[in-house]
Amino acid sequence: MTLTGKQQKHFYLLLLYALLLLIALFWIAPMITLVLTAIKSKRDFYSGLSLFSFPEQIAWRNFLMALTRGRLLTYMKNDLIISGFKVPIGIFIEAMAAFALTRLKLKNATPIFIFFLVGMMLPFQIALVPISVIYNKLKLTNTYFGLFYVYIGFGLSYGILILRGFFLGIPKEMDEAAYVEGCSKWQIFLRIILPMAKPAIATLFIVDFLATWNEYLLASVIINDNALKTVPVGLMTFVGEHGTDYGLLCAGVLISVIPVLAVYLIFQRYFVEGMSGAVKS
Amino acid sequence: MRTKRRNWGAFGFLLPATIIYLSVIVIPVFYSFYISLFRWNGISKMQWVGLSNYITLFTKDPIFHISIRNNLIWIALTLFLTMSVALLLAVLLNKQFHGRTFFRGFFYFPSVIAPIAVSIIWRWMYEPNFGFINQFAHTMGFTFFQTWLSNPKTSLYAIFAANLWAVVGQTMILFLAGLQTISVDALEAATIDGAGAIKRFIHISIPYMRETFIIVFATLIIAGMKVFDIVMGLTAGGPNNSTEMLSTYMYSQSFRYNNVGMGTTVAAVMVLIMLFIIVPYISFTAKEH
Repeated sequence: MTLTGKQQKHFYLLLLYALLLLIALFWIAPMITLVLTAIKSKRDFYSGLSLFSFPEQIAWRNFLMALTRGRLLTYMKNDLIISGFKVPIGIFIEAMAAFALTRLKLKNATPIFIFFLVGMMLPFQIALVPISVIYNKLKLTNTYFGLFYVYIGFGLSYGILILRGFFLGIPKEMDEAAYVEGCSKWQIFLRIILPMAKPAIATLFIVDFLATWNEYLLASVIINDNALKTVPVGLMTFVGEHGTDYGLLCAGVLISVIPVLAVYLIFQRYFVEGMSGAVKS
Repeated sequence: MRTKRRNWGAFGFLLPATIIYLSVIVIPVFYSFYISLFRWNGISKMQWVGLSNYITLFTKDPIFHISIRNNLIWIALTLFLTMSVALLLAVLLNKQFHGRTFFRGFFYFPSVIAPIAVSIIWRWMYEPNFGFINQFAHTMGFTFFQTWLSNPKTSLYAIFAANLWAVVGQTMILFLAGLQTISVDALEAATIDGAGAIKRFIHISIPYMRETFIIVFATLIIAGMKVFDIVMGLTAGGPNNSTEMLSTYMYSQSFRYNNVGMGTTVAAVMVLIMLFIIVPYISFTAKEH
């Protein structure tokens, strides 16, 4: 049997969909499991209700307990504060550095750039013990400042990489014209470069927000006070306290994922653009 | 005079980043290497031991050997599996069809969930009695029973599978970006010359994506060296240290057993290994600029 060109095209398209749906089925299973577990009570489990079936009644109690007794509300508030400080301050500092590296005729711009780039590859572990020792001395453990300060430090490399790449693409004539008109460096930075870099900053903002929101290692070393923990560290505490109550655990995870999902759905296009931007630069 | 003033201004713009970078990364890194030359519990007096921590690790620490082996297995697995799955998805999602934006977003989504949350989800997936995997196998008529995470034979691979689920979208996006760099003209010319889809992919697409492959290789190897959260959340290095990684071993030595000198030594070894990867990568990136 020979297929005409059009039939062949349809056949391949069908094959493509079938293959994608098959892979997608594997990929969605954990999410479905998460939801189906979070809505079941302990009793549903003991009564032998299968994992794949719906309970008679959604166990809202799981969600309520996760938020209050599981302290997820506190953890989310803390994470929001930390990210709220880290992301804008970090991006501003990274933009300043990227501005100096691309706009101010610095002699050793490339070596300085490489110096900042190295931090991206280093594992956090190599700075962990000194930071915890110094923080203990300076009484910075269990403070918001202590945590977002190290986050800014570890975010510099990536931020400078992305912003430098973008700044290089802004035509030099823009700032030369401004110099002629008598603008200072700060004015050029604030009024010309930053507004023009909006797309890069938006991407960085979202990627950075999620990375900060999700970070576990540094937070687990710097924060051990339950009232100050961020979501990932809090979730681990949650596991320690309610180890096998999977309905409750899944409700907690689901709640912690919802803000991330919202950010992701609203700003989805920035992710794909941002990641490909990193490749191009 | 004027250029001199201009450069002082440049230093001003670099100053905050430099201060933070020095205090959070540069100084602590050197301090770590310094601490690695001592026996120290983090509180009492430091006792100089020279390179003895390094010698102990390499010659008589079986857990350290397990950790290095696990990191290497992990890297081999990502270079083979993560890369293949990501490339397959990217090639499929590079075609023109309805819903491709949805599918791209769908496969990328697990990457934005906190790795710790991912690990809790998969703890439950792997739970032997009620978890999804065994239940699903049971429903499909299989009779086997596997304690995925508490069996040293399967635990590392179980963690890897959970991680693959979570991160493959990132590599997929890198490949998707790489696929855009392929010249349409070259592909068309090859089609006219009678090259089939697979031939075109091997002889045109892959060479065009050389840079993308280098970036993917570097990011996957670096990620494989750094992997921590998902292991911590699923097994914390157990059972019996069988899933210990350099990162988790460093963590437990430093913060659970207060063996700070040894912990920093493990971290120092991580960095030394990574330098072998970073130096060629950086020189490549710098050349591109």
